[in-house]
Amino acid sequence: MSQETESTGNPIANPDPSVLDRLRFARQDVAAKLPPLRGQRIAYLLVSPFFVLFGLFLAFPVVYTLYLSFFEWQSVGQGNLFWIDFGPFHVTVPRIAELQFVGLSNYTRLLGDGLFWQSMFNTTYILLIQVPIMIGLALALAVALNASFVRFKGLFRTAIALPISANIVAYSTVFLLLFNEQFGFVNYLLSQVGVSPIAWLTSEFWARKTIIAAVTWRWIGYNMIILLAGLQNVPQQLYEAAEIDGAGRWEKFRYVTLPQLRPVLLFVVVLSTIGTFKLFAEPYVITGGGPTNATITIVQYIYRQAFVHWNLGYASALTVIFVALVSVISIAQIRIGGDD
Amino acid sequence: MREQRRKDAVWMFLTYAFILTMVVVMLIPLYWMIVAATLPQQEFIEFPPRLIPGTAFLDNFAALQERMNYVLTIWNSVFIAVVYTVLSLLLCSMAGFAFAKYEFRFKEPLFYSILATLVLPIQLLVIPLFLMMSQVGWTDTFRAIILPWLANPIGIFLMRQNMRSIPDALLESARMDGASELQIFYRIALPAMRSSLAALAIILFLFQWDLFLYPLVILEDPGNYTIPVALAGLEGTQRIYYDQIMVATTLAIIPMAILFLVLQKQFVSGILAGSLKE
Amino acid sequence: MSQDTTYGRFGRRRLLKGTTALGAAALAGCIGTGDPEGDDDEAETDEMADEISGWGWDVAARSMELTAEEYNDEHDASVEIEEFGQDAMKEDLQTRLASGSGTPEVSMLEMIDGPSYIDTGAVLDITDRIEEADVYDDFVSGVWESLTDGDDIYALPWDIGPTAVFYRTDVYDEHGLDADAIETWDDFIEQGEQLPDDVYMVNLPENDLDGFWRFQFRQLEGEPFTEDGAVNIHSEASLQVAQNIKDLHDAGIASNLEGWSSAWFGAYGDGDIASLPSAAWMEGTLRAELPETEGDWGVYKIPAFEEGGARASNWGGSSLMIPDQHESAETSRAWDYIRWTTATEEMQLLMYDEYGLFPALETTYDADIFGEELEFFGGQAAREVFAEVAEELPSYRFTEDTPEVSEAINDEFQRMLRDDQTPEEAVQAAAETVAGNTGRDLA
Repeated sequence: MSQETESTGNPIANPDPSVLDRLRFARQDVAAKLPPLRGQRIAYLLVSPFFVLFGLFLAFPVVYTLYLSFFEWQSVGQGNLFWIDFGPFHVTVPRIAELQFVGLSNYTRLLGDGLFWQSMFNTTYILLIQVPIMIGLALALAVALNASFVRFKGLFRTAIALPISANIVAYSTVFLLLFNEQFGFVNYLLSQVGVSPIAWLTSEFWARKTIIAAVTWRWIGYNMIILLAGLQNVPQQLYEAAEIDGAGRWEKFRYVTLPQLRPVLLFVVVLSTIGTFKLFAEPYVITGGGPTNATITIVQYIYRQAFVHWNLGYASALTVIFVALVSVISIAQIRIGGDD
Repeated sequence: MREQRRKDAVWMFLTYAFILTMVVVMLIPLYWMIVAATLPQQEFIEFPPRLIPGTAFLDNFAALQERMNYVLTIWNSVFIAVVYTVLSLLLCSMAGFAFAKYEFRFKEPLFYSILATLVLPIQLLVIPLFLMMSQVGWTDTFRAIILPWLANPIGIFLMRQNMRSIPDALLESARMDGASELQIFYRIALPAMRSSLAALAIILFLFQWDLFLYPLVILEDPGNYTIPVALAGLEGTQRIYYDQIMVATTLAIIPMAILFLVLQKQFVSGILAGSLKE
Repeated sequence: MSQDTTYGRFGRRRLLKGTTALGAAALAGCIGTGDPEGDDDEAETDEMADEISGWGWDVAARSMELTAEEYNDEHDASVEIEEFGQDAMKEDLQTRLASGSGTPEVSMLEMIDGPSYIDTGAVLDITDRIEEADVYDDFVSGVWESLTDGDDIYALPWDIGPTAVFYRTDVYDEHGLDADAIETWDDFIEQGEQLPDDVYMVNLPENDLDGFWRFQFRQLEGEPFTEDGAVNIHSEASLQVAQNIKDLHDAGIASNLEGWSSAWFGAYGDGDIASLPSAAWMEGTLRAELPETEGDWGVYKIPAFEEGGARASNWGGSSLMIPDQHESAETSRAWDYIRWTTATEEMQLLMYDEYGLFPALETTYDADIFGEELEFFGGQAAREVFAEVAEELPSYRFTEDTPEVSEAINDEFQRMLRDDQTPEEAVQAAAETVAGNTGRDLA
């Protein structure tokens, strides 16, 4: 973790308090709020495309999901519900499903659904370990690959980022080979140093770790790129000022890089949290949710309810709760992360 | 002085050691995929697995290409992802700019509602979305794949976070010079965000590149398939075509690698880094 | 409890808005509920559409292509087959079934999925057509149960999976195992114990314990649900199977590789695992994936639970169905094609010969192809074994709750193998889970 230091001598263990004050002042200066800007209308214009597109394409699916969560899906509908015929304007709206109104019973069922809570637990467990490790490594890599003395940055950055472009099927095949208990490469390496085989995929404890390793492997470069881009927006003058005041590497990282990077870091934390909550592909192809449901995630469970059991109403209720819960957590993260 | 230099040398060594270790860890599984792409299926499934490349790459590719027009598949994926990325970059940075630099009513609830859409699991939206698309006759079209996700909440969120580092003074002085708000957006804000836009381009490209379930359902003609959809066809019950999957994956890495190499060059200190007046 | 449709509420609301907008024109009777007049479908005609499409995966899709080619030549039609991956096809098809449009005219349907698909109301009832064509009795009788709801039939049986143990004759010989000495599962374990530590007798994949359970449960003529629908997977038969799986595991003769993973293929290719309890369709897979093992394989009937006990069961199998969202001309063509594919001996034998899909059509079983001595099996007439098993097949009641059964069995058996619970506890827990999730009673 290094910002380049060429000239400064006299590293000091405890920087003069005035250094910190100056840095804080400089930061405040950048972020200082000037009087509210003009142009409410322009702001609405700039954000409107999102809402137009959302209204056109996603509003119906979202409302439909909400609606469905109060029903039990019985069967596919037959024929048409109604039609409008007005010369060239002809619309028939099909009857898409036979539904039975069940009130809140999908929601009350969820409360007593052990597997739902198990999937909630699994996802949270994976999240709490995986997100800090991944972001820590991604941050370290971003800072390292931003240091001016490091050569071949482009190649290194690309190498770290490449795993995200690997197709999920190919990548799971390779992970299954690496982590197989009896024949896997990882256990082969471990056996060379006298470690007895580990049940990477078939013990509840290790299967979660394998999923964590796989997710981290795939997404580390993604987060590194975002952080790397964020680092470019840190004003060089702040480092120079810190150096003049004799700040060492750690002080510069702690008092310049971290505070300046805070908005982007917050973004990475929120995005990774949501991303891991939505984890689906990795456990789906690597462990299938097993062993004994130790790695089944929420979205995987919802998917199973919808596409294996055809419980579309119940799956919708699960989705509603899931979206509400994760939204609240994300917004709390943003609030706590000091976003204003 | 000498003490400092020694410390710097140790630091350099540790930094390189860290980078190289990570690069190796990241590349091992990838290397294995590429090796697998060069082996005939029978050799790939041998045990212990081979670590030295074979010579069957072209044969595997020929088998794949015979089964599907994979070159066209890559083209479809690239085309969709590029169109999507360009359009979405614009929309996301517009909205991000508004949330970062303007005060307006309902700003917070609007932003949080956008954030909430980030949580929606696509898996559950697929059935109603397909229903809509089939009603308007958009199944099997690229626009059905591109348009619904154009205003990407990730992109809006990222640009909002990054654009906050644009000093208001910079925008205000442009206003004094008589620039319109839109001019400020594309003459000042966008150029200042070069590295962030590059990162966002990668994120957006990747989002489309990885989409699976939705295009699987929407696309019908194999000539329109994207890479993940085409690859899913290689996983049968009685046979999994590892050789072809690995070749296809290896080839699919190339456009992404080019994209990374090109875009990471944009990761240089932008004008913002030097814009702070003492 | 009111019956309602999803579009009902939105539809009406939208309708009201539309009424205001369109004003008088809308009131002139151009808007209606239900189907527009004159568009009354189900006007049965004998007319057949020229073009239809069919979906399948893997060798099933290629088998359909084979029969479609012949069919198109003979009938001047254009049946187009699309090949998918298994998961991909199910996802795509289910979405299209659930949203009421965009399905192919013909689709493969695994027996195990039969009841849950039929239960969605999206599969066409073909009872009358089957009666009219008089083909019901041509098929193995055990296959119909999964394709029927009450008296109504929704698909034509296509292939079945008579079980057998595939084994590496060279590995057995090398270590002094005698396949002929294996009559019961105890014999199987006893023989397996002669293998050295790094060679396994069998693979027990943790992710497919329900598959292992099911074929043995069927072998014992177990039924997961009683006649009146109560959960019965904690029956004596189920317990026997659980105990057997545990014995196989505890004897230390079983490896644990995910089925169809490359490591799994590799282990069979190298002879690291000596036997593979599976079904007739495995022949095609082995030939395609492990051609260098030609001549090193043999088959024997699955071991019995006690001397003189049954050694026949079924694993897998599929059917062809017609989604219920097409015009009558398309439907007629689809029926004509699926009948051609599944109910003509020539086509069934063609598919068996080419891709190893074992016919569900019983009338084919005396064909010459079954008696052939096969190179791949070192000259053994392996298909005779399958045909014998097929004729003894016990029937089995898949239901729309089959996925629940599979998941519960798999979970509880995994716990059992980890010694967290006894076989009695495992089957009891599985039964209670299924009963709890489905609202069924315990038998």
